[in-house]
Amino acid sequence: MTARLPEPVSLMPSPFHMEYTYVAGEGRSLFLRGLAARKLVARQCPSCAKTYLPPPEFCSSCLRRLGAPYELDGRGQISTFCIVSFPFPGQTYEPPYVVAHINVRGTGTRLMHLIREVPANEVQIGMEVEPVWVPDSELVPSLTSIRYYRPVTAARPATEGSEVTR
Amino acid sequence: MRDVAVVSFAQSPCLRANRQDDMAETLLPVIQEGLSNTGIDRDRVDFFASGSHDFFEGRTFSYIESLDAVGAWPPVSESHVEMDAAWAFAEAWTWMQLGEGDISLVYGIGRGSLAADLDQVMPSQLDPYFLTPLRPHRDALAGLQAAALLDAGLVTERAMAETVQRCLADATTNTAAAKAGHYSVEELMAAPYVATPLRTHDVGPIGDAAAVIVLAAGDTARQLADRPAWVRGLDHRIETHYPGVRNLTDSVSARSAARRAAELAGFAAMDVDIAELHTEYSYQEALLATALNVKDAHINPSGGPLAGRPVTATGLVRIGEVAQRILDGRADRGLAHATNGPALQHNLVCLLEGE
Amino acid sequence: MTSNLAVVGIGQSKQAKRREVTIGALVREAVTAAMADAELEFADIDAVVLSKTPDLFDGVMNPELYLADAMGAVGLPVTRVFTGGSVGGHAAIYGAHLVAAGLAKRVLVVAYSKESEGNFTWALSRPLPFSAQLGAGAGGHFAPVIREYIRRSDAPEHIGWKVAVNHRLNGIRNPYAHVQRPDITVEEVRSSPMLWDPIRYLESCPSSDGACAIVVTSDEDRPQTARPPAWIHGMAWRTETGHFAGRDEVNPQAGRDCAAEVYRHAGITEPARDIRVAELYIPYSWYEPIWLENTGLAAIGEGWRMVDDDRTAFGGELPVNPSGGVLCGNPTGATGLLRFAEAALQVRGQAGEHQVDGARRALGHAMGGASQFHAMWVVGAAKPGETQ
Repeated sequence: MTARLPEPVSLMPSPFHMEYTYVAGEGRSLFLRGLAARKLVARQCPSCAKTYLPPPEFCSSCLRRLGAPYELDGRGQISTFCIVSFPFPGQTYEPPYVVAHINVRGTGTRLMHLIREVPANEVQIGMEVEPVWVPDSELVPSLTSIRYYRPVTAARPATEGSEVTR
Repeated sequence: MRDVAVVSFAQSPCLRANRQDDMAETLLPVIQEGLSNTGIDRDRVDFFASGSHDFFEGRTFSYIESLDAVGAWPPVSESHVEMDAAWAFAEAWTWMQLGEGDISLVYGIGRGSLAADLDQVMPSQLDPYFLTPLRPHRDALAGLQAAALLDAGLVTERAMAETVQRCLADATTNTAAAKAGHYSVEELMAAPYVATPLRTHDVGPIGDAAAVIVLAAGDTARQLADRPAWVRGLDHRIETHYPGVRNLTDSVSARSAARRAAELAGFAAMDVDIAELHTEYSYQEALLATALNVKDAHINPSGGPLAGRPVTATGLVRIGEVAQRILDGRADRGLAHATNGPALQHNLVCLLEGE
Repeated sequence: MTSNLAVVGIGQSKQAKRREVTIGALVREAVTAAMADAELEFADIDAVVLSKTPDLFDGVMNPELYLADAMGAVGLPVTRVFTGGSVGGHAAIYGAHLVAAGLAKRVLVVAYSKESEGNFTWALSRPLPFSAQLGAGAGGHFAPVIREYIRRSDAPEHIGWKVAVNHRLNGIRNPYAHVQRPDITVEEVRSSPMLWDPIRYLESCPSSDGACAIVVTSDEDRPQTARPPAWIHGMAWRTETGHFAGRDEVNPQAGRDCAAEVYRHAGITEPARDIRVAELYIPYSWYEPIWLENTGLAAIGEGWRMVDDDRTAFGGELPVNPSGGVLCGNPTGATGLLRFAEAALQVRGQAGEHQVDGARRALGHAMGGASQFHAMWVVGAAKPGETQ
């Protein structure tokens, strides 16, 4: 007969504290610096003509260095989306909110971003959207310089407040 | 075994801290060089294998970034080890044995400089309940092993300094080395300790680099390289995790891996001209040479990890350095060794040969 | 090259929040069970492959080092594989490759996650300046794909609820399953909270601790036990780049290529006819029709009809996830291997209460990343080439 074992230890805090340096790299730095200047910078592969946003330094299909950077207006179409409907710790926005894949016009990549200024249940695949930038004083080399995307504002019938429908 | 050979090796210089390039930018030029050495395009590659580790990058799924850099479109056959890329090499070599393809590309990316303080990171490699909470200094367990060897009379501080002296001198001809130079033993022995009995130069300098190896089978290998470096034997073995349970003055896992690799190869460590050992610390050279039974070989002609240690690429670089010397005719037979874990817990041995 | 490969031992731990055991003890449960099933000693094993999702999830770096003892791996070659959520499938295939290559006679493949230790959400949301901080979470990735599937296929919304109920009812026949909801109803799923529209709470997988282990051998080195082996008829893995415009995430090319290769290896020309049961990596209910179509078990646009017609329910012509699947337990590092192992249990006739009658051939499927990693195997009750 073995003696009865004690109750198992079920909690043993062992916190980590780890600091890391983030190296953006040359390709991404171009893009990040553009964001700090309210610009969306894309680059094209000289070989397969695919356009990247954000652009890395090399084409992931051809392994070729991408061509010269150029600016896009950032407008595009929602390729698909979801509505985040529940609260969880550390959440930045109050649910429900829409997270979408956006095909930015003139690119061959997809950008993921928030869709605001439209009721969540009115967001649709194929909807034309445009970026809304933070004020100049808040511009930083990060995608957070774009606060969110919203339906394109040209010739739109406005509804109550700043909410927009199409 | 199917005849499989290294036909190309490329590496980026081991930088103490590369703040210029992201993972893709570090890796891609090396992949391009590795492929262009053989004159093939990426679409000829039948299988990709890679090694890296999230804890060095500080985020999850960092491997996917390296994969996006390599590109996987159209879809590819591919695998990844969250280990030193020498183990990815082992996987690729295994895959080549299946006969489902003739060319594999193995890459390793190691960026040791991103963690602001590796003492915050390396304890997480240990038993999370008994050892990690003690938060040993990253070199502490190596210091224990070195002290055990000194105590047993199996190495001396002077011998350790002589190893460092030779490696750093050899590294002066290695453009990828992070550290090189001509030092006197007295000079080295006057340096302060970092973890007694280890001095700064007894610890391989951590850095950032990528390495790429192209493997090819049979006649394909002969077409792609004038003198392929045939992989004749490969094996790896792990030991118990607990340093307190092990005899730290021997490396039984390196010993058994070498024995098994020799059975496959038909020749042994004692028969090689060169040996590249994954010596993260100077004292490990004597320990490994004994366990592997390396006799007259030139050990670490590249300077070895004491001249540059790009974490998870370090072991793959050892295989590449041996293969390169066979490819260009400077050596006929060689041994490459890779390790991981505290005090040489896990060891890999690869025996290569020219025709 | 060895021609015939067999799974001769399978073990798993109970999936749950397992705070009463260490990581090592959790892994050992599965390893011990697999070895007992194979009737082998550790001395009979000559290589170990370990599957695990990101180390940051539970904070142990290179867990093969700490787990060497618990896995019985001391003195053996150990490889730790990581390819996203598909890793368990990759590990099983690498283990089988070691046997096929003649480098090992018997390989132990081990997989685990202990997600109750550490902080999963933290590990998945390390801020990087080139991605916007959206707080989308795991479902935030899959929900848009599901929305696109529904748009393309015109599937009615109850399909997702029905899958959720089917899998939960299957789970009560599996003593290892984490989620046990014997009286779940479609109405309950439908009224559960919306998480990531269109995904509801009860259409989502849990976060679990759990481990799985299998033993793979060649025919020649197979232990003779009363329990028959599962024969490996085909296996394949494929990877594709995750994010580019025009990439079809609903029906990813890598998954189609992987399926085509695994059926070619297995000599299967009509998967829907030749596969009797499938264990698919379904973390959200709608992924049942999505993967049925991607793996060729259903025609494009028809996957949801199989659900609607009860053909994939337990007792149907092609039961999907009789174990309860990922919706009933998701220890991510082990989830892929569990799918492979459950497929093998079925063809061995060892699946207990969730055994599908006449399961001669089964598909095990694992996927990971942004549906960019795919691994599959087909296992059978008869040796490859013999009358199936």
